[in-house]
Amino acid sequence: MTPILECNGLTKAFGHKKALSDVNLKIDHGQIVGLLGPNGSGKTTLIKLANALLTPSAGEIRISGMTPGLSTKKIISYLPERNYLNDWMRVHDIIGLFSDFYEDFKPEKAYDMLKRLDISASDRLKTLSKGTKEKVQLVLVMSREAELYLLDEPIGGVDPAARDYILETIISNYNPEATVIISTHLISDIEKVLDYVVFINEGRVVLSSSVDDIREQGKSVDGLFREVFRC
Amino acid sequence: MPWDLKPDRPIYTQLVEHIELMILSGVYPPGSKLPSVRDLAKEASVNPNTMQRALSKLEEDGLVITHRTSGRSITEDSEMIKKAKTRIAREQVLEFLEKMQKLGFDQKEILSIITGMIEEVRG
Amino acid sequence: MLTRLIKYELKATGRVLLPLYAVLLVFAAVSKLIFSFSDNSFSVPEAISIMIYIMILIGMFVMTFVVMIQRFYKNLLSDEGYLMFTLPTMTWKHITSKLLVSTIWNIGSFLAAILSIIILAFDEIFFTDFLPDLFRSLSEFFSIFGLNSGLFILEFILAGIICMVSGILIIYASIALGHLFSQHRVLASLGAFLALSTVSQILFFCVTSLPGLDFLSEYIDSLDSLQASAFMFHWVMWFIIIFFGLLSAGYFFITNHILNKRLNLE
Repeated sequence: MTPILECNGLTKAFGHKKALSDVNLKIDHGQIVGLLGPNGSGKTTLIKLANALLTPSAGEIRISGMTPGLSTKKIISYLPERNYLNDWMRVHDIIGLFSDFYEDFKPEKAYDMLKRLDISASDRLKTLSKGTKEKVQLVLVMSREAELYLLDEPIGGVDPAARDYILETIISNYNPEATVIISTHLISDIEKVLDYVVFINEGRVVLSSSVDDIREQGKSVDGLFREVFRC
Repeated sequence: MPWDLKPDRPIYTQLVEHIELMILSGVYPPGSKLPSVRDLAKEASVNPNTMQRALSKLEEDGLVITHRTSGRSITEDSEMIKKAKTRIAREQVLEFLEKMQKLGFDQKEILSIITGMIEEVRG
Repeated sequence: MLTRLIKYELKATGRVLLPLYAVLLVFAAVSKLIFSFSDNSFSVPEAISIMIYIMILIGMFVMTFVVMIQRFYKNLLSDEGYLMFTLPTMTWKHITSKLLVSTIWNIGSFLAAILSIIILAFDEIFFTDFLPDLFRSLSEFFSIFGLNSGLFILEFILAGIICMVSGILIIYASIALGHLFSQHRVLASLGAFLALSTVSQILFFCVTSLPGLDFLSEYIDSLDSLQASAFMFHWVMWFIIIFFGLLSAGYFFITNHILNKRLNLE
């Protein structure tokens, strides 16, 4: 089966600075993958390339065999690090927008999750706290039945309870046809959920392995990470 | 029983052990139905793939049975359960004995410590 | 997809501009009321209400302009861009929906202004003098130029719209060009605007100085004055339409290319 994500010699340069150099990667369906690396290592650049928000300087990236574009946007559900909610809409408006533009969006699921989080559909996005906005974005992203979920630092600035909720949502949303790629530098929190990890540093893939293989050697992924990225 | 997963051992092995323990200690009695893979994964906060593999292993070992239409249940075969209990007991004792040997105790000393502790715990 | 984008564009911009139009019209009516209470001398309340009316009028045009720019920048090139550009739709649809809606509001603000003036100036004179005069001039116009007059009006409207569209697109292109820079983007956009305007002016002079235009004046001299003026009018209108049409296409192409291939959201 075609890998859901494949990179061949992928390079992205901004002026003289290379954010990604010669990245080769193959990720299959039905996996929960950790894209792990320190800040500025190229994780976000890789994710943006997958989303067609950037174009490669060299090499290629393919989503389910296709070049990033209209067809890939339909099957990718993306949670950026940034908050992309506008401030004039209410919660039910943004749900309406997602329903309008994404065929695989399930509004019932979204409303369900919002209820559990105690977020009212008539709240104005402008009045929500930063943490709540992040939760709304997560709900929107996870209410889609996509083939590839790209989560960029989903647990970064979030409190531990919310972190647990996010992991729980990722687990319960799990679909053997879909793949979730989580990019983060907070590893010990999500280790248990990952099938496979890719270590990335200074734009290069440093290591890629299944979590089991790492643990067979008696280390946690977090421990290995600290070893590999020792300052 | 809280899922206490250590970071430096494969998760799937730990899941197998934990579920085994729950079966053998009666938390999941023989014949009872197991929650779905997804629910178990959520409870343990692990990847459903990993939980799936753990359950497959338990099926191989004969402790868990998959019914085509109604999910998974614990075996009712008491022989199987007894065998598993014994296996775990032997593993625990082996680990214990190895550690005792490392500390330099001989057989007699080990036995007397054991009987002494059993008395203490009972009383 | 395009219709949905247009829907959201209208919602986002309408909530700011429609109330403004309403305020303008209401205030025009209020001013009218104030005028009707006073005698015909120029008194203080009238002066104040006229000043406020003018401020609202100017404010409305300014807001229409500001909303147009801000909407393009904020929705596509700031954080909201993360949502917009990952929607499963083509970039040109984003540009077109915003262009369409900006055009609608530009025309709308113009119509609102006219309506408010009519409200202000509305009295019997409107019906006894102004409207009859208007109809008389129009029927004279139609009788002189016959079928051509319909064409004139169409061409005039078309030319007006194309000029408006090209004005909007040059701004979008300038914003897009400014986005290529990592710092001082506002300055870069202004610079791009100057550059694009200069280039288009140079192009205009080049085209209008083409030697081939000489034969035109000869042809015009051969016609009688009526045919000549009709011909001139058509010629000028179509020149404007085609020239600004091509410029618009150029600006659209620049904007589309940058947003497609050189997007770099922070």
